[in-house]
Amino acid sequence: MKQQFKFGVAGAAAGFVNGAFGGGGGMVLAPMLTLWCGMEQKQALATCVAIILPLCALSAALQMLWGSFDWLSAAPYLIGGGIGGALGGLMFRKVNVLWLRRLFAAFLLYGGVRYLL
Amino acid sequence: MTAWLLPLAAGIGAGILSAWGVGGGTLLLLVMTLFLDVAPSDARWINLLYFLPTAGAGLLFHRKSGLLNRQALRGAVPWGLAAAALGAWLAASLDMEVLRKPFGVYLLAAGLMTMAKK
Repeated sequence: MKQQFKFGVAGAAAGFVNGAFGGGGGMVLAPMLTLWCGMEQKQALATCVAIILPLCALSAALQMLWGSFDWLSAAPYLIGGGIGGALGGLMFRKVNVLWLRRLFAAFLLYGGVRYLL
Repeated sequence: MTAWLLPLAAGIGAGILSAWGVGGGTLLLLVMTLFLDVAPSDARWINLLYFLPTAGAGLLFHRKSGLLNRQALRGAVPWGLAAAALGAWLAASLDMEVLRKPFGVYLLAAGLMTMAKK
């Protein structure tokens, strides 16, 4: 299959999840880029962030148009996110994310159960 | 003060994960809705907005490292934008309760996949 087509499908899947749930598009996109499009892991993860960024901007703008929002309650998350993003970018090449990913997976499963019950 | 501290800490933790592409956005959504009692519609919006500075900061470093695949960007972003608009429209018009179960299924699937990854 043509590579551009694959990228298009991956982008659309990520966009939909991201818009509907308010996040999580990267969780769909990253495995599609590596397993389906054959991208190398670190490049896929970095590219994933670059693809999700405009999607989030659009979804957030639409939510502002169509839904409710409260700047004050969002502020501490946003400030923390900027700090954490810079820290993560600085440390990116030095970490072994395996144990971290396992912990994160366990938390996802816990969340899934909580949402389904 | 604590009303600010917990969200700030959650933001930093999820920000680090986001920059590594591990799924910080999903993590933050869960922390907000399950532990910090943020309403689901607010959590969606905060999470989307939150990703902008986080991803922007992370991207500066990724671009310097030359890790971005431009072909993938050109292929994925236009379709992603269209699908994101559709998804956001669905979420805005549907009752949040309707999205609970699909989100739960998504979390379980994502958890299993993440667990299985080497």
